[in-house]
Amino acid sequence: MGVFIDRNKLVTMDKAASMIKDEDMVAVGGGLCMREPIALLRELMRQGRNDLHLVGTAHGFDVDFACGGGIVGAVQETHVSFEQDFGLAPNYRRACETGRVKIRENCCNTIIMQLRASEFGIPFIPVRSIKGSDEIKLHPEFKPMVDPFTGKKIVLVPALSPDVAIIHAQKADIHGNLKIMPPYVADVLFIRASNKVIVTAEEIIPEKQMIEEGPTIPYYETTAVVEAPFGAHPTSCYPYYAYDREHISEYMKSAREGAEAFREKYLDKYVYGVKSPEEYMDKVGGKAKRDRLASWKEGRESWMELFSYE
Amino acid sequence: MSERLEVGIDELFVVNVARTIMDRTTVFHGVSSPIPMVAMYLAKLTHAKDMVYFGGVSSAVDPNPPFLPPTTNDWVMIQGRTAMVTVDKIFDLAQRGELDRSFFSGAQIDKHGNQNVSMIGTPEKCKIKFPGGAGGCNLSGDCVNYTIWTTRHRAQKKGDRKFFTLVNKCDFVTNVGHVTPYGRREELDLVGNGPDWVVTELGVFDFDEKTKSMRLRYLYPDTTVNEVIDNTEFEPIVHPEVRVMDMPTREQIDIIRKIDPLGVRKLEYPEQELSRRFMI
Repeated sequence: MGVFIDRNKLVTMDKAASMIKDEDMVAVGGGLCMREPIALLRELMRQGRNDLHLVGTAHGFDVDFACGGGIVGAVQETHVSFEQDFGLAPNYRRACETGRVKIRENCCNTIIMQLRASEFGIPFIPVRSIKGSDEIKLHPEFKPMVDPFTGKKIVLVPALSPDVAIIHAQKADIHGNLKIMPPYVADVLFIRASNKVIVTAEEIIPEKQMIEEGPTIPYYETTAVVEAPFGAHPTSCYPYYAYDREHISEYMKSAREGAEAFREKYLDKYVYGVKSPEEYMDKVGGKAKRDRLASWKEGRESWMELFSYE
Repeated sequence: MSERLEVGIDELFVVNVARTIMDRTTVFHGVSSPIPMVAMYLAKLTHAKDMVYFGGVSSAVDPNPPFLPPTTNDWVMIQGRTAMVTVDKIFDLAQRGELDRSFFSGAQIDKHGNQNVSMIGTPEKCKIKFPGGAGGCNLSGDCVNYTIWTTRHRAQKKGDRKFFTLVNKCDFVTNVGHVTPYGRREELDLVGNGPDWVVTELGVFDFDEKTKSMRLRYLYPDTTVNEVIDNTEFEPIVHPEVRVMDMPTREQIDIIRKIDPLGVRKLEYPEQELSRRFMI
């Protein structure tokens, strides 16, 4: 939603983060441990943003990190974990169990249909499932009713229009055209359903090259663009890098120790104490790390090794 | 005659899940599903060559990954594919009644197949937060059928208390079984027919036609009916012809080891279960 026709949408990370306000409903792009806008989340923490309402489907590092960094007030994701790779999400659990964040858990197709209603410009949409599940208790806004045409039971769910979608793309140009490589997860729906679309990109490329490659998302659907190489780290952004198991393993150790330990051992080191993207890159292992995470391209054995790394 | 081969519970379990997949059907696994991931790929390479194979959240059609990774949303899972779809197209297929099978699990599972993947306690006062059902609440209603799996059927003893996964009542119903807290499936006009198989590390269950309750059909070579009953909070129905399951073939085991060199199929077990070995 929204049409954005500025010729030059390139902004700094600082400026991009300032476009997101306390209590905004934020759709975070990517999913699980893939292509999540982590550099932007770090900047939101440095700026002290509060009470964001996160929405999305199956997520992992991003939501757990945002909960641990204290910028979240409610979570309407459908699933938050590190799967069987690292298990339950410690910061997310703690935030839910202490009441620090409001549990607004939703279900994937319900969210998809709600985003579609927004994309279609209609106020609500019927869903054939949810019936029988306690998920309805978490969403008093859902309206079970009888389909006036067939007489069957259905549930009406309202359109969902996040205040802002934050997306990490492989490529963007300054006009706002985006090249996103599949899997998109819910990114395309987030872009069409949200009021603002803030994009961080591995590479800013010339508009001419973008047009030749063919954008996934046309310029008029995006609000602002930030150049952010390594901006999804430690989640993956193929073909540039696989996800960083070594780093996530360090993250998990401090997150499992408790909120204090997480702040001292992780946030102070990788968020608050970092002044530039170059400094972050150095702290997480520099060029050697970057080369290592790009080594998935060399074949099956090196790709497998990235998943065996503790 | 060839020599006998030693196989693990992890391999037998994968074969049990693969047996619930029929050829010429549409099949999808969700997040946090390493066992269904291996079982689906095994089925596609053996008895279900014409299965339409949606490999997880990354939503590739008929992928041919070089190995199976410990996450369901990685470029590994889109290698060798026929086509990409977006994940919403898989949910559309389900809502139209055309997704034949999926796979769900839960921290709690009741006798009608309802599952809790959300929380212990209430949303206002949550004692334990589980990850959440992802697409399970929708797909458990919409899929033609689905398989339930758990590697944690065995009750945990803490002091004099026993903690069950197969419980009388779920604290919260995320994914819907046959009889829900809000009524029976047919009263709710749900699209799908619900769970038809439950695979655990102690046995394999189907559902009794009349009561729509779990019914023990198969045992492992090292489990007994009494052991299953002792580890289940509700009284499971026992099929009159309950027996030890058929052992996997050498071909199935070879394929499992080849497609899953990282051993993601072993990630879901309490440590002590993995020492269970069988000769085939």
